[in-house]
Amino acid sequence: MSTFLAYTIIGLSLGGIFALAALGIVLIYRVTGVLNFAHGAMGMFSTFVAWQIFYGWPHPGLAPWAVTAEAITVGLLFAMVLGLVLEFAVFRWVRNRPQIVKAVITIGVLLTLQSTASLIWKNNQYHLPIYIAPQDWTRQVAGVPIGANYVVIVAVALGLAFGLAAFLRYTAFGRAMRAVSDNPTSASLWGVRVDTVGAVSWMLGSLIAAVAGILITPFINFDTTSLTLLIVDSLAAALIGGLVSLPLTVLGGFMLGLLETYPTIWIQSLGFPRLIALLVILAVLIVRSPRGLPGVAK
Amino acid sequence: MMPGHIVRFAVAIVAFAILARLPVGLDQAFQFDAALALIWGFGILSLVLLTGYAGQVSLCQATFAGVAAYGAGMTVSSMHGGYLLGIVIGVVFATILGVIVGLPALRLHGITLAIVTLGIALVFDRYVFQDHIFDWFTGGTGGWQVTSADLLGIKVDSSQHLLAAYDVLLALFCLVSVLMVNLHQSGAGRRLRAIRDSEVAASTMGVNLTRYKLLAFAMSAGIAGLGGSFYPLIAGSVSPQPFWVFTSLQLAAIGVLMGVRYVPAAALGGLFMAVVPDVLTRYGHGTFMNRFNYDISFDWFQIAVGVLLILQLILLPDGVWGDMRAKLLHARGAAQRKPAREAPA
Repeated sequence: MSTFLAYTIIGLSLGGIFALAALGIVLIYRVTGVLNFAHGAMGMFSTFVAWQIFYGWPHPGLAPWAVTAEAITVGLLFAMVLGLVLEFAVFRWVRNRPQIVKAVITIGVLLTLQSTASLIWKNNQYHLPIYIAPQDWTRQVAGVPIGANYVVIVAVALGLAFGLAAFLRYTAFGRAMRAVSDNPTSASLWGVRVDTVGAVSWMLGSLIAAVAGILITPFINFDTTSLTLLIVDSLAAALIGGLVSLPLTVLGGFMLGLLETYPTIWIQSLGFPRLIALLVILAVLIVRSPRGLPGVAK
Repeated sequence: MMPGHIVRFAVAIVAFAILARLPVGLDQAFQFDAALALIWGFGILSLVLLTGYAGQVSLCQATFAGVAAYGAGMTVSSMHGGYLLGIVIGVVFATILGVIVGLPALRLHGITLAIVTLGIALVFDRYVFQDHIFDWFTGGTGGWQVTSADLLGIKVDSSQHLLAAYDVLLALFCLVSVLMVNLHQSGAGRRLRAIRDSEVAASTMGVNLTRYKLLAFAMSAGIAGLGGSFYPLIAGSVSPQPFWVFTSLQLAAIGVLMGVRYVPAAALGGLFMAVVPDVLTRYGHGTFMNRFNYDISFDWFQIAVGVLLILQLILLPDGVWGDMRAKLLHARGAAQRKPAREAPA
């Protein structure tokens, strides 16, 4: 029983990461129509920027918490700039092209970011994780120690999901984003600045990807490829939400996290969780509707 | 035989005669690159069939090649079969996987198909090619070792007789290329192109979507597998790394970059994919004009692929070869029009 509980906690925090990453994918997809295969790579690059600040730069006279805060702030700022740069340099030019062309362009972005990162930070080197919460903090729940990092992940994932939902629902800009996601042409006729909305969603999506990337570092083999390839699990979670629904996406993320974690009680395999992600993708795509997803235009 | 067929076969034979002489006299590493270029050329050729002709997206072409490579390695090393049998088994394995991948594709297209095929590439990369459950297929951590082989009386190995492997691969590549162009002109090719343009319209016109989509996936995987099954022979061993998920992404990127609708673009893409990284790692470091030290590593290749892909999709949607072809045809048309003094259309 305590094994089960311990794996539930790991699964939930892994699921929190998937949920976060998938939120960014859904946000960008709904507003700009770009299915972002480079989402993992964007999160990876920003995470490595934070890592560079955390471990690579001198911090004379700073408290440990201040170093963490500095690294995370710079990483997240970088993520927003990265999102903006991509929007202005790449995706603004292909707004009216077919969906699949935009998706293939994100593969170009993925390859570029991935190898730039491996050029700077080397591919096979072991990287120390960034710890957000103190390592020695644990609470006993039913005989199972729960580390602070797990609590932080689940809290941040849920907090960001609700925050994003509230932002989309209650603010004027959120309404503009929803209008663009429904129909860009009619939104622009109503005076919504479609370009600005697109730029902001790229910025926000990239920011959320960076949060997910920074949070996951203590749990995985932290290198440039593993974070980039998180895209498949995130896409699985996003597909559970049909690439449109935020609540279902978050739920899907947690579900996928648990589904991928429980088998590791019996099966010690690094690759097996990927198979589960693929099966979830196939199940969702085949069950949902005969012509694919409702929100997916051809 | 139609005149078109004769011309195509003649072009293929001339191309073979010229290209077969190309790596003669180069050192062993470049001969390896030449053979590898053909293996990746097969990978892109398979994408030309699947994406360029039939309009199906795939991000797992290197997986097909990898399955064939392991199948061939298994046949030769563990079952002690001849290499010819290894190639046949490799291609059969890849084709079977192609049909399996094609099954979900019957209900999917566009980005959802891209997601599924990316998932398949990742599962094979991280699970099938690396997990100990599949040691019977992958030969464990070290992979299969293939020292030398006999292909219909031609001695081939990874050190002294690399050129023989190159010649066999080149002959096959020219043959498959001609068959691909013939397919494009045939009834089956027209049906595949109809599926690419509109699945609904194609099925309304009586095209059997199930049969032709599965056929496209099976043939495409078989072509990728034909190249991949030669990999253990020219490299001497087979490991997961050449067929990992990023190779699949690179194949897709370079295929689109060079022009995914055209057969010659596959040769161009394969050459680019095999030779450029090796040239970079060999000559990419040194001192320029005795002052500036430079160190261009292998990573720059993938950066270039990514950036070029983005630029190409924004500026030249039909790919490098497609754009060159259009310019040539335009120039020829202009030259033909001039003597007649016709007004440009």
